Amino acid sequence: MLTLIGRKAIGLVPVILAASFLTFMLMSLLPGDPALVILGSENADPDTIAAIREEMGLNDPLPVRYFEWITSAATGDLGRSFRTNQTVTDAITERMPVTFQIMVMALSFALLVSIPLGVLVAYKSGSMLDRIVTALTFGLLSIPNFVLALFLMIIFAVELGWLPATGWTRFGTDPVGSIKSGILPALSLSIGNVAVLTRLLRTDMISTLQEDHVVMAKSKGLPTSRILFRHALRPSSFSLMTVIGLQVAALLSGALIVEQIFALPGIGRLLIDSITNRDLVMVQGLVLFIAVVYVFVNFAIDILYSFLDPRIRHGNTTATA
Amino acid sequence: MREPTAPARHPRAWRILATLLAASLVAAACGGDDTDSADPGEGITDTTLTSDTDEVVPGGTLEVGLEAEATSWLPGEGVFASAQTNVARAIYDSIAAHGADGEIYPLLAETIEANDDATEWTITLREGIEFHDGTPLDAAAIKENFETYLTRDTSNLSASLAQVTELRVDGPLTYTYVLATGNVAFPDVLTGAIGWPFSNQACAEAAEECGSNPVGAGPFEMESWQRDAQTVLVRNENYWRTDEAGNQLPYLDSLIFRPITDEDSRFNSVLAGDIHVGQTLRQSIVRRAMEEADAGTMQSLTAIGNSGGGAIFNTMRAPVDDVRVRLGLAHALVQEDLIEILGGTGITPPQTQYFSPDSPWFSAAVEEAWPKYDPELAQQLLDEYTNDPDRSDGKDVGAPISIEFNCPPDPSLLEVSQGYQAMWDAMGVEVRLNSVEQPVHINNAIGADSNPPLSGNYMANCWRMGANEDPYTTLRPAFSDPAVEALNFTNYTSPSVQENLETMRTAQSFEDRYDAVEAIMMEFTEQVPNTWTGGTATALYALPEVRNLGGWTVPGGHQGDGAMEAQVYWAEVWLEQ
Repeated sequence: MLTLIGRKAIGLVPVILAASFLTFMLMSLLPGDPALVILGSENADPDTIAAIREEMGLNDPLPVRYFEWITSAATGDLGRSFRTNQTVTDAITERMPVTFQIMVMALSFALLVSIPLGVLVAYKSGSMLDRIVTALTFGLLSIPNFVLALFLMIIFAVELGWLPATGWTRFGTDPVGSIKSGILPALSLSIGNVAVLTRLLRTDMISTLQEDHVVMAKSKGLPTSRILFRHALRPSSFSLMTVIGLQVAALLSGALIVEQIFALPGIGRLLIDSITNRDLVMVQGLVLFIAVVYVFVNFAIDILYSFLDPRIRHGNTTATA
Repeated sequence: MREPTAPARHPRAWRILATLLAASLVAAACGGDDTDSADPGEGITDTTLTSDTDEVVPGGTLEVGLEAEATSWLPGEGVFASAQTNVARAIYDSIAAHGADGEIYPLLAETIEANDDATEWTITLREGIEFHDGTPLDAAAIKENFETYLTRDTSNLSASLAQVTELRVDGPLTYTYVLATGNVAFPDVLTGAIGWPFSNQACAEAAEECGSNPVGAGPFEMESWQRDAQTVLVRNENYWRTDEAGNQLPYLDSLIFRPITDEDSRFNSVLAGDIHVGQTLRQSIVRRAMEEADAGTMQSLTAIGNSGGGAIFNTMRAPVDDVRVRLGLAHALVQEDLIEILGGTGITPPQTQYFSPDSPWFSAAVEEAWPKYDPELAQQLLDEYTNDPDRSDGKDVGAPISIEFNCPPDPSLLEVSQGYQAMWDAMGVEVRLNSVEQPVHINNAIGADSNPPLSGNYMANCWRMGANEDPYTTLRPAFSDPAVEALNFTNYTSPSVQENLETMRTAQSFEDRYDAVEAIMMEFTEQVPNTWTGGTATALYALPEVRNLGGWTVPGGHQGDGAMEAQVYWAEVWLEQ
């Protein structure tokens, strides 16, 4: 197992390097001088622009800048923001818990709803309930999360006053307040996932419910709930897990918008601000961080497969023995 | 210490059904701008409020939603637009401040005096003022601020301070700005970031983190700054000011500023009672705030000020280098319709010059002379150019005029760009719209790599012009020699403009300076370096329990300039509890 993990981990390095190199090149090709953004249009004096460009190293050739950045990054130093002078590491450390909490809440909500719902409609396949849920999930998939976010804000914050419209409370300061401030953003992010995961699980479950071991369990007279959740759900959850891994990317991109609408101090909002303001060092650090997270989540899911499916686990063990 | 006051909530459950059904309203909100024609009332609320301090209840926490976060709080390093200035005014007091009457009054200064030719400006500070860290505010501190931070190579204030050749310390509390040439408008710069003294000791100790740990001499000191989440300020117990009745300022215990960049979310946050005050520079939100104010659920402090929207022309770029084209394009515009597209109908009148009707520099004669919608005259001027064998764009006689119009990708700006396109297209002008991000937009307007240098890489840009400062401060960079002045985006200047700018720099009397300003504005009605839509309406909208939001004063009881550009001084704001 360790060999398997090691081999997969080594394979991640070129992926991360490629992501960082491409981002660096793309950001460098974007028009718009970061020095001008720092100064603002009212203070755009050519001499000051030149001094800022020199200080930021923007006059150095691209390969030199990339090499300097990547060698520093390898030692854990992702540099300092051009714009705010904050270290990229500090910025990520400050904001990661916000985005992480929202993503966990969104994913938890999606799983809590979609697993029982997916199992139920698979069991009742072809029924009125199945048709209603199918129509509903198609409907939910078609709603952009920013529209949903505004709807939820108007209903639950402005009209009912149950939840805050904007803002963030740190979990360490006030856990209840933190969860309350995360509910609307998490709901906005998760609704689409509920639809995707429910439909996926339904399809896989319908197929699993026709397999021999399930028929055998039924013939033994086992209770339906035990058949569904013990015998059918586990073999039906491989696609679900793969999609959950892929949904991490969707959640991160959704966070770009949702964090903006709910004024959350997360990674997504920082990334948008940094791109808009040509904060190359910050964008570079954030993309590297996101790439690492994404790659590792999917890596973890790969590893999890082997725990869920003994065939994979033993196949690899045999292969490496 | 009193308990912070929780913002009131206004649950209106009966409206939920309507909300659910009104999907179109949400879609409109997402678009970032509404263009409904509901008349919110008589128009602009007067922002120069009289002070509302008779029944002050000190204490409480006020939460304010701002449109943007700061990059740094250090003068010379941070960019202080309206949002950041609101916070900065709570942390730093300024050397001087604008009064409601347009005059500049000393704030941290006891006196501000010029020599005869305005080449030396001597400031005497008030006695006994300390920064939040207990170090004294004196002339030596000001000099160190100036030399170490404000004028260093990378300071964004160094261009504004290029006119200062020396800062001379004359005494413990007295210092003099020595200017290269006289400038009667110099005190204007002391109302902004240049005039915000800060503790050198605190900055030196914070080193690279100085911009995150501001230590000024203002009514509030920073407790914490969580970027993009909140800036928490608490009362400066040693603040130097009292109100006219002798009560210690500030009234509030603490202030929390929250950057909420989405306009609709910020507005909803006030409606939901999450925050007490919101700030906006968007006309559709100004309108909504006025409607809520009419309904009694909010108060709205709205101001137009001198800033206005419009289009700038690059007068060094064909075909808009020809005045017939610029004038023709101006006569083709229906300003009222452009204002309606921006959601400003009933809020802002058509702008005709760099000054609003409330400004002492406004000229009715210029308003009268500004090119009005006249399609026949527009067509005649444009045809004249089109049929000119020596037309500047080098096209064949009769070939249509082509304009490239650039605007940042803001929803309301995209809509107004389409308005320009439709109006000019009706005159047979081909208009290509380009959506460019703000940094590129500014980059193109400056054109550091253009030929000739600084002439700009654009033809026509949507732009915001004018400011609530002395006309010389606004007009000098905008219309000085474009070969050396990067901020002359239109590249327009003339001997008469230079002569009048010189008068504005040196003349002591208001009348002489007014005549010079009016002459420049009148020249623009004929030369049209830019067009106008309407003034930029700004607003602070607040829950009813927020008191004295725009009623701040300067020592001596002079009324401040209210909520101009949606920014105020916070020392005299209080909460009804």
